[in-house]
Amino acid sequence: MAGCATTSPTTPSTTAAATAAPAPASASGGPACSGSGAFTFPDPVGDDNGPGTYTYPTDAVYKPGSFDITELQVVPSADQVEFRVSVNGRIEDPWDSPAWGGNGFSVQMVFIHIDTDHKPGSGVQDGLPGTNVRFKAEEAWDRAVIISPQGAIRVNSEIEQKAPQWKDRIIVPRVTRASGRTLIAVVDTRALGGPPQDSWGYQVLMQSNEGFPAKTDLLTRKVNEFEGQHRFGGGTDYDNDPHVIDIIVPPGGDPVQKQHEILSKYNKAATTDVKPADLAVVPMVYPCAK
Amino acid sequence: MTRAIAIAAALTLAAAARADTVNFDLNGHLYTKYMYQNDNTQGCLSISNPFWVDNIGGHNGACTEFELNIKARVSDKVSAGVRLQSRWGMLWQDWWENGDLKPGVQDTSGESLGMNHAQYIKLRGAFVRLAPPIPTVKWVTIGSTDFSMWNEWTIGKARYIDRDNGDIVMVEGELLPDRMLSYTTGAMALPKLWAGPGWQTGLKDSDPLAALYGTDWAFALKLDSRANRDFRLKLVTTLVKDWEADRNSPFLTGPASAARGADHSVALATRFRGLNATLDAVWTPASRDWMQLSGLIAASSNYVNPDYATNLVRNGQGFSPVVFKTDCPMSGCTAQDLANGLGNSVSSNAIAATALLELFDPFKSGLSVKLQLFDIGSEYNAIMGARREADVLITDGIIAGGFTRGGQLPTLNIANEFQDWDEPWYESCIGWRGATAILEYSSGSFKSTLEGTYIGYNTSTGVDQFGVPVPRDVKNQYPNFLYTNGFTDTTAFTADTDYANVYDRGKDPRSVYAEFQDRRTVLAVLTGQFLVPGFRGTPTLNFKAKFVNDYDGRRQDRKDDDYRGLMYLGMASISLQPTNELKAVLGYEYSFWNETARDGSEEAGFYGSKTARNTAHLGVTYAFGGALFSYTLEYFNKYLRRDRRAYYDMEWNVWRAKGTFEVGW
Repeated sequence: MAGCATTSPTTPSTTAAATAAPAPASASGGPACSGSGAFTFPDPVGDDNGPGTYTYPTDAVYKPGSFDITELQVVPSADQVEFRVSVNGRIEDPWDSPAWGGNGFSVQMVFIHIDTDHKPGSGVQDGLPGTNVRFKAEEAWDRAVIISPQGAIRVNSEIEQKAPQWKDRIIVPRVTRASGRTLIAVVDTRALGGPPQDSWGYQVLMQSNEGFPAKTDLLTRKVNEFEGQHRFGGGTDYDNDPHVIDIIVPPGGDPVQKQHEILSKYNKAATTDVKPADLAVVPMVYPCAK
Repeated sequence: MTRAIAIAAALTLAAAARADTVNFDLNGHLYTKYMYQNDNTQGCLSISNPFWVDNIGGHNGACTEFELNIKARVSDKVSAGVRLQSRWGMLWQDWWENGDLKPGVQDTSGESLGMNHAQYIKLRGAFVRLAPPIPTVKWVTIGSTDFSMWNEWTIGKARYIDRDNGDIVMVEGELLPDRMLSYTTGAMALPKLWAGPGWQTGLKDSDPLAALYGTDWAFALKLDSRANRDFRLKLVTTLVKDWEADRNSPFLTGPASAARGADHSVALATRFRGLNATLDAVWTPASRDWMQLSGLIAASSNYVNPDYATNLVRNGQGFSPVVFKTDCPMSGCTAQDLANGLGNSVSSNAIAATALLELFDPFKSGLSVKLQLFDIGSEYNAIMGARREADVLITDGIIAGGFTRGGQLPTLNIANEFQDWDEPWYESCIGWRGATAILEYSSGSFKSTLEGTYIGYNTSTGVDQFGVPVPRDVKNQYPNFLYTNGFTDTTAFTADTDYANVYDRGKDPRSVYAEFQDRRTVLAVLTGQFLVPGFRGTPTLNFKAKFVNDYDGRRQDRKDDDYRGLMYLGMASISLQPTNELKAVLGYEYSFWNETARDGSEEAGFYGSKTARNTAHLGVTYAFGGALFSYTLEYFNKYLRRDRRAYYDMEWNVWRAKGTFEVGW
C-alpha cells in the first residue's frame, strides 16, 4: 500500500460507509458525535506543557500555541477518513518543508493512537518510539496515524528502522497537510481495518518534528530538564519522562489537571535503565462509546 | 576502506560515549552531492560568490561534506557544544590534494591548490550555555548562534550555510512571571565579511590610518509579553555599530606628545550605524478561534560615514548595500555638486507596517481567507535582516516560478548566492505598498489557493511643481545594482562579477531604486493539489498558474520609455509513490514573458524582448535504512528574442542534474 506502512487490514473494510459530516464540539465542551464514527473532541487551550512543567524550545520558530491541541476531528467518507488536529496558533513552515520533500509545515508532529477493539491482550501497549508513554492492556492501540511534516518515504524509512515490529499497524497518510491552524491527514479506510466505529478509542500525542532524531526516536524531539534552542524543557535528561507536550483526556473533571496528573506519573528515579513500567500511562479516549 | 574503518570506529566510540555519559550527544552527518550540467564549469555549487575567485562554484563535480556535532551537559546548569565541519569545495577528483601549498610552485596537478581543496575539518561553532543564579535571568549563552532570536526586520536568522558564523553573549530571562514579560538581550560580533568586503574599509590603500578595526558589534533587545492568552506583544530593537580608529586621533597622526593631545589611546569613529526596531502584535480571540489578526510596525535608520566607508553606489565594490544619503540637494548644493556626490552624509530613515487578517475556515466549509496589507518605506533597510530562507509577505511575489519557490525580505542585502539551481530565490520588498488576498479551499484530498496582489511602490519617483520628473540619485546615493529592469530569470541565472545574470540581464533581486520610476504590479496565482482516486501509488497532481502585469512608466513626461512586463506561467506535476521507500515526481512548466522596453537607457532608448521557456522536471527520492538518496533531472529550453536593432537573440538547451546522498547518525 503506497504511502502507508500498513499492509493488509486485519478486518474487512466496509465499501459503502456513509459520509459523515464532522459535528461541532458540543456546547458543554465535551465530545460531539454524529454517528458512523465521526466526531469532534475538544481539548483545552493552554495545556501545552505536558505534566504542567514543560516549556517550549527557545528558538523563535516554536511559536506560542504551536503544540497546544484544541480539537480532534474524525471525518469518515466513502473510502477515506480525514483526521484533523487543530492547535492554538497558525501553523507555519519556517524550515521550508518543500525543500526536503515535506508537507507544508515544519515543527509539529502528531501521533494518533487508535484502539479499535478495546480488548485486553490485543494491540500494543508501548507508545511509538520517542514518546516515552504506555497504554493500559485493555486500551492498547491497534493502529497509529502519523501526521508528520516529513515526506512519506522518510517517515516509512524511520518506521522501518525504529518500529519494524509495528509497521503493519502504523499508517502514513496518503495526504498530509496544514491549513490555517489545522493539521490534516487523509487515510484509506482499509488501512484502518475498516471505517471508524463509535466504539473506537483515540489518543493524540502532540510532539515536535525532529529531522535529526536520536537512534531510538521516531522523528521526535526530546524533552530535557532545561529547554534548549531545539529541546523542550521541564522534564528530565533521561528517557523516563513522557516526551509529549499535549494529549487528550477523557471527559469529566478538570482536563488540564487530569493531563498533568497522568503525565507526572513516571518513575523519576529510573535514569539509565528505563523499563516500560517506569513510563507514564496515557488513557485512550472513547468519545462516542456508549 | 580507511574511511569505512574510521566511520566504524567513530560509531563504536559514539555508542560507548552514549552508554557511559548521560546526555552526551554526538551525532554526525555525511552529505554527498553530485552535479551535472552540459556546460564547461567544474564545481559543486550552481551559484557561488561572484565577488572573488573561489573553487566552490560550478556545475560539474561530486563533493562530500562531513559534520560532527558534540553537545555535553557539563553540570545541571551548564551545557556546551561544538560543530566540526569539513570545508565544502573539494571535488572527488581532487583526491591527491592535501593542503601542502607552496607559494609560486605548481604541483603535479598543474596548479597549487592549497588548503581549500584539502577538505579539512573546521571548527564552525562553539557555545556554552548556563543558568546562573541571578534574579530574572534564565539563561546566558556565550558563543555561536544563528541570530534566530530576533526577526527579519531587524537582525534576521542567518542563512543555513552561515548558521554558526555569528557569535553572541546573550541573556534570556523573565521580568514578570507567567510569560507576562520576558526578555532577550545580547551583543553580537558584527560579521565583517559582508559588512566590509575585502576585509578592509576600502580606504586602506589610500589611507593607512583607516585600516579596518575588528571591534564592531551589534546589540539587541527583545521584550515579549503575553498579557493574556489572546494577545501577544513583542518589541525588538537592534543597533548595529561599526567602529574604526579615528584617523585624526593625535596618537596616530604624529609624535606621541602630550602637547598634541596624544595620550597613547586611539579614539574611535563611527563608520556605520544601523538602528532597527519593530513592534508586533498577534491577537487570537479565544471566543473566535477561527480568526487571527497580526500586525507589525518597523522603523529603520542607517547612517554611513563616507570618511571610512567606500561608496557602493558609486564604486560598485564598496561597503555593504545601504543608501549613502546626503543632504544634497536639500542643503542648497548645485546640480554639479549632486552629480559629484557632494553634500553632508545624513541618516536614511523609514518606517514600515504590515497587517494580516486570517480567517481559518470560519463557516466550516473548507474555505479560509487571508488578507494582508503592507506599506514598506522607500528607505527601509535591515542591513542584518534575514538575507534569505524567510519571508515577510504572504504573496507568491514576482520572483517565484513554478518549480522555483521564492520570498520577500526587507533588506538590500538579499543573498541569492552560495546556492544550487533548485533552491528558492528571494527579492527585496523595500518600498512595496499594497495588499494581498488569498482564498484557500481545502476538502479531503483536494486543496487549492487563489491569490490576488496589488503592489504600488514608495520608491517611485515623482514630478516637480512644473510636471518635470525628478530623478533619483542612483549614481551616488541609492544603489540600483546596475540592473533594474525586467523579470529575473532564476532558472538560467549565472552570476557574473556584478552578481547579475551574465547572459540575461534581468532585474537584480536586490534592486529597488531606479533613476526614474512610476511602477505598479498586479499578480494572480492559482495553485492546486489533488490526490487522484482509484490508483495505486498515491498519485498526486499539483498545478500552478501565475500571471504578472508589471508596469513602470519611468519618466512621466515620456511614453516611449514605459516598461510593461507580462508574465504567463503554467506548471503541472504528478508525484507517485509506488513503494514505501520510493517517490517520483514528473512535471512540466511553461512560462512566457512579453516585455516592452525592457533593456536600454533613457538616453539611447529602450527595446523590448520576449522570452519563452519550457522546462521538464523529473525527481526521484529513495530512502533505505537511514540513508536518503535524491536525484533531480531537469531540461529546459529557453528562447530570448530581443530587438534586433540593439541585441541578438539567444537560446538555451540545458540539461542538468543534482543528486544527493546523505546519512546521519
